[in-house]
Amino acid sequence: MAVTVKDLRIEFPDKLVFEDVNLSLDDNEIVAIRTRVLDGGTSLLKGIAGFMNNVAGEVEYLGVNLLRNPPAHVLFKVGFVYENHGLISLYNVFQNIGLPLQFHTNFSIEEINERVDGVCRFLGIDEALYFLRPHRLNDVQTRMVNLARALVVEPGLLLIDELEGGMSDEMIRDTMNRLRERQQESPMAIVITTSNPIVMSTADRVFAIEDRKLVQRTDL
Amino acid sequence: MMRLIESVGRFPREFLAYILDIIGLISIALEATRDLLEPKRRQIFLNLFVRQLYNTGVRALYINGMIAIFIGALLMSRLFDYIPHQVLSQQYGYLFVVIIFRELGPLISGIILIARSATAITSEIGFLRMTREFQVLHGLGISPVFMFLLPVFFSFPISLFLMFIYFDFVCILSAYVFIWLSDPGLSFYTFLFSILNQISWNEIAINAVKALLGGMMIGIISIHFGARDSDSFDDVSQSISDSTTSQLMAFFLINIVLSLLAYTQ
Repeated sequence: MAVTVKDLRIEFPDKLVFEDVNLSLDDNEIVAIRTRVLDGGTSLLKGIAGFMNNVAGEVEYLGVNLLRNPPAHVLFKVGFVYENHGLISLYNVFQNIGLPLQFHTNFSIEEINERVDGVCRFLGIDEALYFLRPHRLNDVQTRMVNLARALVVEPGLLLIDELEGGMSDEMIRDTMNRLRERQQESPMAIVITTSNPIVMSTADRVFAIEDRKLVQRTDL
Repeated sequence: MMRLIESVGRFPREFLAYILDIIGLISIALEATRDLLEPKRRQIFLNLFVRQLYNTGVRALYINGMIAIFIGALLMSRLFDYIPHQVLSQQYGYLFVVIIFRELGPLISGIILIARSATAITSEIGFLRMTREFQVLHGLGISPVFMFLLPVFFSFPISLFLMFIYFDFVCILSAYVFIWLSDPGLSFYTFLFSILNQISWNEIAINAVKALLGGMMIGIISIHFGARDSDSFDDVSQSISDSTTSQLMAFFLINIVLSLLAYTQ
């Protein structure tokens, strides 16, 4: 198993959001989590990524529990795609995508540029966007740049929050196919929150959030 | 009665928490300097540092220069007229150093830094917090302290010191121009050396300490208030207001204490 989530519990000061969440993912698996408005899908992904403080349980990845002071090199291997914002406003699109490589690796500038350009081409991000700052991008472009930044580090675990908002059916299908294709080149487990039937039909397994737990569904 | 006691007790508690926060920020900024040992990270830092130095120091030249011209033209040229020419070389230089070099130059430069740059930093950090960019950096394994605090921590003191020098220089030039209009026989070098002769290494060192401490405190306080919990622009506006008040208090206090310690005979 690439990633194992054990007895995850997420609790805010005034609300218990999740309890007894258990999930195991293989390399190259796509798991979709069907979400509805305000049912905590984003919190679940952030909880799994180790971005939140109020989380109990274990998220084991490469033998490391992400919830207990994850070392930077492991955290760096978990890609997170935000539904909104998620980019650093100081930098343009190209710099945003290359930032984790520049900060964490010893790649030369040429290697970083090549990788960033490669992942942008792979996802169909137009060169005209490369030097735009995040505030110039629309929501879909922002999410695609988020996705590019997550993929550029070749993560072992990719967490995607509601990728499909504002996308046409064709674009959703195309992006999901590209993610599948990417999995063949570089193994990674993908967890994606969604309310879109195309995304759910592409996934290997679909879960729903019911009564603060994850329940596997085959009828969605 | 209990409410009165509670509200009286709240102030020292909040003040203590604020002081501890500031000390904490200084210590994590110093700790984050370890990242500068890595060449790639140092390059990221240098880009951000230069950007900050440009925004804080270079872009303030215009307003700093204009105020220095006003002060030099009005205050120091008028003062020149009142001093008998026989004692000019000693007294004018001494008065320039006491009024401009020691006190007005640092204070006005500090106020410009607070008004122009520190408020901008507080609002920028507040906005970054609202858009969850700190969380994004954390997710990328990058410390927000490294990206946002460290450049300010280093660039503010350097900018402030350069602003002191620039202010004094423009003040000398503008004072000379206005004096020269009524007394064309005055040599610029005579005028300049009458001032420079009065500036000791001790005064330069005190000004450097004022810039170092003042700039660092202004930067840290601006970040502290910007990074406070903010979910709306109302919160950011309130943070800017609180931040400016605290910076002015801290900067004036540092200047007054250092001047009293250094120049009291």
